[in-house]
Amino acid sequence: MSFWADIGAIFSAFLSQDSFEIQSALESDAAWVLGAIASALGGFLVMLIYRAVPFVERHLERSVMVYSYLAIALIIFWGVIDRFVFNDQEPWSTTIPPLLFMVMAWFGASYNVRLRTHLSFSEFRTAMPRGGQLACLILDAVLWFIFAVIVIVTTTRLVALSASNFQIVLGTDNIMQWWFLLAAPLSFFLMVGRVFQNLADDLHNWKTGEPLIKQAVIGAD
Amino acid sequence: MTDGTMVTLISLGVTFLFMLGVPVLLVIGYWVIGCSFVLGLTLDNMGAELLNVFNKGFALLAMPLFILTGDLINKSGIARRLSDFAYACLGWIRGGLAMASLGACGLFAAISGSNSATTATIGSMLHPEMVKGGYDERFSAATAAAGGTVGIIIPPSIIFIVYGFLMNLPISELFVAGILPGALMVFGMQFACWVICRMNGWGHLIPLQLNRVLKTAFGAWLGFFAIGLVLWGIYTGKFSPTEAAGVTVGFCVIAGLISYPINRIMGARNDIPPTEKSYAEMFVVEGFTIPEIPSIVIRSAQITGILAPLIAISVVMQQILSLLGAQQTIGDFVTSMGGYHAVLFTSMVIVFFSGMVLESLPVTIILAPILAPIAASVGIDPIHFSVIFLVGASIGFITPPYGLNLYVASGVTGVPYFRLLRYTVPYLVSLLSVWILVSLVPDLALILLPNN
Repeated sequence: MSFWADIGAIFSAFLSQDSFEIQSALESDAAWVLGAIASALGGFLVMLIYRAVPFVERHLERSVMVYSYLAIALIIFWGVIDRFVFNDQEPWSTTIPPLLFMVMAWFGASYNVRLRTHLSFSEFRTAMPRGGQLACLILDAVLWFIFAVIVIVTTTRLVALSASNFQIVLGTDNIMQWWFLLAAPLSFFLMVGRVFQNLADDLHNWKTGEPLIKQAVIGAD
Repeated sequence: MTDGTMVTLISLGVTFLFMLGVPVLLVIGYWVIGCSFVLGLTLDNMGAELLNVFNKGFALLAMPLFILTGDLINKSGIARRLSDFAYACLGWIRGGLAMASLGACGLFAAISGSNSATTATIGSMLHPEMVKGGYDERFSAATAAAGGTVGIIIPPSIIFIVYGFLMNLPISELFVAGILPGALMVFGMQFACWVICRMNGWGHLIPLQLNRVLKTAFGAWLGFFAIGLVLWGIYTGKFSPTEAAGVTVGFCVIAGLISYPINRIMGARNDIPPTEKSYAEMFVVEGFTIPEIPSIVIRSAQITGILAPLIAISVVMQQILSLLGAQQTIGDFVTSMGGYHAVLFTSMVIVFFSGMVLESLPVTIILAPILAPIAASVGIDPIHFSVIFLVGASIGFITPPYGLNLYVASGVTGVPYFRLLRYTVPYLVSLLSVWILVSLVPDLALILLPNN
């Protein structure tokens, strides 16, 4: 099929909401182009929403992280109590927490992009002149964006594959795995939004003469 | 251009990105992407691993839970009580507060499992008091950084979880194997601390009072209970490390929530010294309220959001290294060095120098699958080797240029990174001595194992 036909097939598959068709359509190389455009537009939209509704900007990722974390702790804690006290244990108590962990990890990764707290060796960068520092920050943004596009495309393919195979979470009757797996591409869309936000801040700081690189603190807001 | 040349160029390229300050997650990610192209692998493999690594085992879940435990015991005031107890026991010796700081690191590490959490908590808690007590601020910061190294050796330990997960070893046995080496690390550093403080005359002495020791020990009962709970559960096999982590989180939350109102009723005299408190006041800790829980959890989640994606991408890196034959190459090199002791020594040198430039997590994820099978082939016990490997990796936390604890200690104490380096040398010497001892005496790691 031609490139444009592949693009059309992807749109058609998403409109049909048939997971098997989506999975088949996403196998073409057109998915990369469409993925890049969707990531850029999605990220831009996320940035605009964050700007228009600061409450969402502040609480979206944090809430997902906190509730996933607490749910993991609660399920495991209760699993032990259930076993020792009631001689019982829900079969999903060991299968849902890893999926929640995945949700928390990728939303956390997005949040850390905004705070610039991902581990890095910033000694040389800090000692650079402002022009060099800005170039490094732009490089970061470009690298994050390309990485996010790759992850969004590849994980969306897997989500579609999981949905088309009707994979359920082990130990449950009707909880689909793809509901959880979808968190990965979604969180990378949010991450692109964070990358754009950071880039906008960097360019603003460059123009106003404010420091470009600030000490990031884990645990800070 | 051959594949080997391409991979070398990609590796040099990402090293350049690393030096430019690009996040390690991206550095590894782009290495994986580049090598995937060279090897003709589909990128879907990377996407699949980024999702599947979390589903592969229940064991990895212990990592976020033990991180959360650290934050909960810090916020609830349990960590403070443990450090009060350590000071009451050691304050009569020259350098007692610094030694107590190291002891508190050991106790904190026995509930939490993170080096950076240990450094940050004990450093921020005891650094001001050490400076007030006449210690050099650079030495104080270096003490917090060095003390944090035991965070990943004394069980529970995040890095042991990752190691066991990668090498398919029983995590509970790894935890047990870390007890004696971890304790030795604390004692070794305390000895170095005592020598330095004696030479410089640092620290004010407090008399050793049985009443003070008993009262602070009583005040730290929640901490001891949590330590006992973790060790008992894992040692007896009553629950898995992940379940132990979940139980400890539950215990800390319940203890914190119950303590808060009782502490308020008693007057909430949290800032007065333990000697001025009654036994009833020492019975409860500061605690926290339900609305405070999200702010505690978010900090842990943020750290997990840094570490978990790194583990996921490093697993893909490890697969590609395997396809490239890196394991074979390094394996041939290490094996060519000779028998048991030569392999042991070469492995230790590789781990030490890797720890200087990389964080312990990538060191473990990249090197453990390469070195562990070789070590096993010359007769080194896998559990013993894991302890040797991880004690070496933990030393990397205080070796420049990439000593994570040095950055954390610098951050929480305000002492510039380069200024505290000199004061880590005595600790480095003591840790290296313990490392050599642990590697030469397998029983130090193996004697407590249930089947030994």
